[in-house]
Amino acid sequence: MAIIDRKYLFDKGWKSAAPIALLLPGFLLYLLIAVGPSLATAVYSFTDATGIRGIPVSWIGFENYDEFLFIGAASRDNIAALVRTIYFCFFVTTIQFGFGLLLAVLLNRKLKGTKFFRTLFFLPVILGVAIQGLMWKLFLLPRGGPVAEFASLFGWTSEFLGGQPRQAFAWVIVVQIWANAGITMVIFLAGMQTIPERLYESARIDGAGGWQLFRHVTWPLLTPAVNTNLLLNIIGSLQAWQLFLVLIGYRPGTQVLGYLVFAEGFGQVSGEVTTAFRQGYAAAASIGLFILVLVIALVTNVFVSRREEKFLG
Amino acid sequence: MTHTSIGRMLALLFAVCLVAAACGEDEPEATPTTVASATTAPETPAPETTAAAPETTAAEPAPAEDVTLRVLVHQNPPMVEFMESFNQSFEAAHPNVTVDMSVVGAGDLSIAIQTRLTAGDIDVIDIFGFANAAQPYMSGVNPPNWQTLIEAGLLMDLTGQPFVDLYDEATITDAGSFGGKVYSINLGRVSYSGMFVNLDLFDATGVAVPTTWGELVAACDTFKAAGNECMTVGGGDGWPIFVGAYGLLGAMYPDQEALVEGLWTGDITWDDEHSVEMLNRMQIYANEMLETGVSGLSHDAAPARFAAGDVAMMPTGVWQAPALDEVDFDWTYIPFPGSDNPEDNQYLFGKYDQGWAIAADTPHPDVSLEYLAAFSEPGNYQAFVNAVGFIPTQPTAELATKLGAEVAPYLVNYRVGFEQYWVAPTGAGQWANASQAAAWFDPFNEWTDPAGLGAQAQADLQAGLDAG
Repeated sequence: MAIIDRKYLFDKGWKSAAPIALLLPGFLLYLLIAVGPSLATAVYSFTDATGIRGIPVSWIGFENYDEFLFIGAASRDNIAALVRTIYFCFFVTTIQFGFGLLLAVLLNRKLKGTKFFRTLFFLPVILGVAIQGLMWKLFLLPRGGPVAEFASLFGWTSEFLGGQPRQAFAWVIVVQIWANAGITMVIFLAGMQTIPERLYESARIDGAGGWQLFRHVTWPLLTPAVNTNLLLNIIGSLQAWQLFLVLIGYRPGTQVLGYLVFAEGFGQVSGEVTTAFRQGYAAAASIGLFILVLVIALVTNVFVSRREEKFLG
Repeated sequence: MTHTSIGRMLALLFAVCLVAAACGEDEPEATPTTVASATTAPETPAPETTAAAPETTAAEPAPAEDVTLRVLVHQNPPMVEFMESFNQSFEAAHPNVTVDMSVVGAGDLSIAIQTRLTAGDIDVIDIFGFANAAQPYMSGVNPPNWQTLIEAGLLMDLTGQPFVDLYDEATITDAGSFGGKVYSINLGRVSYSGMFVNLDLFDATGVAVPTTWGELVAACDTFKAAGNECMTVGGGDGWPIFVGAYGLLGAMYPDQEALVEGLWTGDITWDDEHSVEMLNRMQIYANEMLETGVSGLSHDAAPARFAAGDVAMMPTGVWQAPALDEVDFDWTYIPFPGSDNPEDNQYLFGKYDQGWAIAADTPHPDVSLEYLAAFSEPGNYQAFVNAVGFIPTQPTAELATKLGAEVAPYLVNYRVGFEQYWVAPTGAGQWANASQAAAWFDPFNEWTDPAGLGAQAQADLQAGLDAG
């Protein structure tokens, strides 16, 4: 076998620039559609931008941040939305993670019908948010909906999505999990299928039972999938807002930070059709969301890196 | 990798960049066309539910280029149906023009206007009557979005256009002008503070149409005892729940402009005795008068629920009257009797609804103006009013429908409503606008204590006033 000098992997001289030339289009595209808007959002957060063409944009320093965090009772509502976002993240991440893992364990067996059920559980993922929301709105119709009909058997009535904020919020958690558990399941399944069968056989010869197989073989070797799912679930749930828009709209006591950004940016906060667009203020709120995501993701990353080192070396 | 292959790759990359650049270039739209004065127009048949076929007038000479006129309207089924019919007529009269009409939900209209005007992607827009401007006693408030659009130069100045003179002066001044110039023609006033009443059900149950709050409470008890429902609204859209109680707000505070000023100056508070009584009644409305499950009923579907015949009243705007054309019972529209004093229950509150404006940078200014001129022709405007049930803003038009006859006695007492004046101070909390409190009581939100909500609403308002 010829020994390849990595230094000259793509030949010498100007030919060595080939990898850079190949990467450049993708990198430029990334700058254009990801980094650029993110930096622009950070800059906008220090302005009074409305998002309307022709209106001068003024630099106002930290005024948006000051208003978001400290001014009046609105700041209390903003902080409440932030706390609610963390609750949402916690419940969605833990339940979706556990549910996805359970599905993956069940559907990783060589039993009849597993392919059908894999497809069935993955199906919600391919639906758009509007379709997902519409389906659940119909499912939860307080008059004549299947859940309402069932609940009425026990003498229980509710407005569901249009009712008590905590209940409406809980239903959004349910829908978010239903909509995304398929992805979690598929990532776990992919991870499980990379675990060599001989490890299970060896463990069985040593007398390991089902739980021990899972605990000492599957779980440690599933580490990359665990880490990926954990980060995806956390980041996805922190940024969620579309389901709130489709399912319950802007109502006191239900907003999360992501929805607040949209509502402030597009004049949806007051219920009046003439409400001003405050995209500079919304940009400040989105930077707040970004910092929240960053901090939680970094802490999680440290945790999962340590875990990876512990199990996989 | 050879010189040739890398060269080919770079050439391919260059070609892709060139194609991308070419695609990104703004393609100039059709050259602005000129449409001259009107002549006779062919008529096109109107849909069955439209009162009369709109007529549009042909232009001469016809412009050479094909024009696609992009029109944005909000969802209001009878209005959309009328507009589809009108557009067909307009296209028939202007063979080179194709009308591309987009329909968005009322709650999304302001977003669609902002994004499409900013993108230069629209010619004629539907815009609600200008309202919620900052008043002298307000400080530190953001201007309403229509004002921002005008200041950004995105709306065409319509001052001096002949069709503007067809509308009454008060409408042009109050609902379509800013800084002495006209930017919108408003197509009609609506009332949202009354309710549709199923007269046959009242007769069958032996209940008189209520004129006071006490009579309304008693009537609801009777209907429910007889196995019927008292009220329904299309609460699935959220806002119809609290808009349904705007009549209650108006009955308790008949001078709504003074209420807004009083709240800003501190002369009126949400936690004073009168306001708490109003909140108490809003709780009864939300908790006892509305039937169970209204939050799952969309606004557009509510008339069908009312048409079922077992609901006595539907508090909503007059714009839903056309949807009741086919019901097999007699109905009327009355002010919400929210006060114990019948004199206070004689007012209808409302707003200026849909209007037309034109994008300042439309590539088709003449066709856009012709579109508005054709729409404003008295015959077409009358057909529009008949179709949608608006209280007309052209003095020559009349609401010659059943709704028109029913609301005629109250039009002398028509007043602009609270929501058209209200602007929240910066920093006010989410409970500060207690005019929406009907949607905050159980079962639609967490509140069960009117006095507690009053105190919270006032605290949230005061926090904003203090911050300003």
